[in-house]
Amino acid sequence: MTLLNCLILAFLLFGIGVWGLMRRRHLVGMLISIELMLNAANINFISFAYFTAHDSTAGALFSIFVIAVTACEMAIALAIIVTMYRRHKSLDADQLRDLHD
Amino acid sequence: MLDFIFPNYIVPDLLLLLFPFIVIGARLFCTAQSKLPWRIANVGFIAIFVLLNFIPLANGAGKFFISNWKVDDFGILMREVLIISAILGMWLSKDYFDHSGEKEQMHQIAEFIGAIAFATFGGFAVVSACDLLTFFLGLEIATIPMYALTAWNKKDQLGSEAATKYILMGSVATAFELFGFSYLYGFAGSLHFSEIQAAVSSGTSPLLWVAVLFLFCGIGFKLTLFPFHTWAPDVYEGAPTPVTAVISVTSKATAIAFLVVLVYGPFAPIQEQIAPLIALLAGTTLFVGNLGALKQSRLRRFMAYSSIAQAGYIMVALLGPASIAKTAIIYYLFIYAVSNYLAFFVFGIIGHYREETFASLRGLSKQNLGLAIALAVSMFSLAGIPPLAGFFGKFHLFFSSASTGHYAIVTFAVLNNVLALFYYIQLIKSAWVDEPEGTLSPLRLTKRQRNVVILLTIAIIALGILPFLSNNVFSGFSL
Repeated sequence: MTLLNCLILAFLLFGIGVWGLMRRRHLVGMLISIELMLNAANINFISFAYFTAHDSTAGALFSIFVIAVTACEMAIALAIIVTMYRRHKSLDADQLRDLHD
Repeated sequence: MLDFIFPNYIVPDLLLLLFPFIVIGARLFCTAQSKLPWRIANVGFIAIFVLLNFIPLANGAGKFFISNWKVDDFGILMREVLIISAILGMWLSKDYFDHSGEKEQMHQIAEFIGAIAFATFGGFAVVSACDLLTFFLGLEIATIPMYALTAWNKKDQLGSEAATKYILMGSVATAFELFGFSYLYGFAGSLHFSEIQAAVSSGTSPLLWVAVLFLFCGIGFKLTLFPFHTWAPDVYEGAPTPVTAVISVTSKATAIAFLVVLVYGPFAPIQEQIAPLIALLAGTTLFVGNLGALKQSRLRRFMAYSSIAQAGYIMVALLGPASIAKTAIIYYLFIYAVSNYLAFFVFGIIGHYREETFASLRGLSKQNLGLAIALAVSMFSLAGIPPLAGFFGKFHLFFSSASTGHYAIVTFAVLNNVLALFYYIQLIKSAWVDEPEGTLSPLRLTKRQRNVVILLTIAIIALGILPFLSNNVFSGFSL
């Protein structure tokens, strides 16, 4: 395990998240992709804190805060998606078509 | 006051943090018809605004509270912009809770105001942050309530669609930003701004440039910069009108403050190197915003493109030196907030009785001259016509950029302003020249709406024709 290994892992996870966001048409699938991207950043923070940083507590703490913030964000996202589901009875992203130019 | 526990300059922040709990708590112990939460909200916001004005501008490095909460002159003035935006947003929303004309009535005003207050507090945190963690939390506190506000009408189909788009785009932006922060932390080895700045000035590395790129991608979403602006028109159109106004001012002011803090804080040593990136983003953003606004027929969508273009103009100032750019941006944000809210008040009054389209504005000058004048003043101010405040705001923005010799982008922005003038005048034309089709439904203004419209119109004219007001802003402090 070196720093570079961890960074490559995080970057791959971030890439998978971006790819999933483009490919998935299901709203919950898109949320999971976003979660992957956020957690990739967490891995970055923790690995920098472990290997290089001289202020290593701060990096480890940051990732805990990120987890908490992400939980809030996902709670609101799910609440909004539930209202979408009640109306359309499906979670397909292609139904988001009422607002356009 | 309270000086033995907290220093004076921290009191408004603490009050604002407590404020939503007080308002929502008051709502719990009152009947549904009670006016108490609304009154508390008014008194609270205005008290915070007054307290902010009592903090002397210090002309210096600012004061620190627990080492990572800094209150400096830029922070205090940005707080005033954010609080003004919150107060006006609250007044604008009130009529949507009382009676709604043909629109669906909104509910839970106490929670609505609480959400606006939380978003405002997020803005406070962004302007006072001295380390990446506070900075990140502030930006999130400022954004998350906006998602909930957009979907406030649960039965409104467009609202929930707009909120879905907003939260998906916003979360992706957060992820990009966070990734940028993590590389920045890896580069500097610390979260504190002063240490990051020291690391940046002692040498750059590819890690830093990747971090800058990710950060600009992330903030590009929130500030509606060019390749990332596509969510804005949909969200502005789908959200309830007062929420659109709050998003267009509070969230934009927070995002601009974020960039100002970064560019003149940790990235100050490499400002010259990232100048081409800023200029490119600013130029494309204002061009795309102006082009998009040309073909709109619905008012809120039009305002969305207009505010995309305004974000581009504000970005132009970031090319200048710190003190000039900061003053120019604060002054412009004041004017932008006032002009935008005036436009949204007029659209809101019309929207109570008709659809919010250009066609509904027809015959406005014959039916209600005052509203037509207010609309013209706000549009001319946004366009930057000389006697009004918007002209001086834009002048200072361009001056900031020109003072470091970026003449190309300034020329481009000024030429674009001609394009902008065309669509703003088109809107004024439909209010003043076009004849209405059929009979017009009557417009009724409440006392609050009339007073606020008059107040904002006078403010725009006064800020423009009484330049000593703006001179005070410029000479009163140095950043």
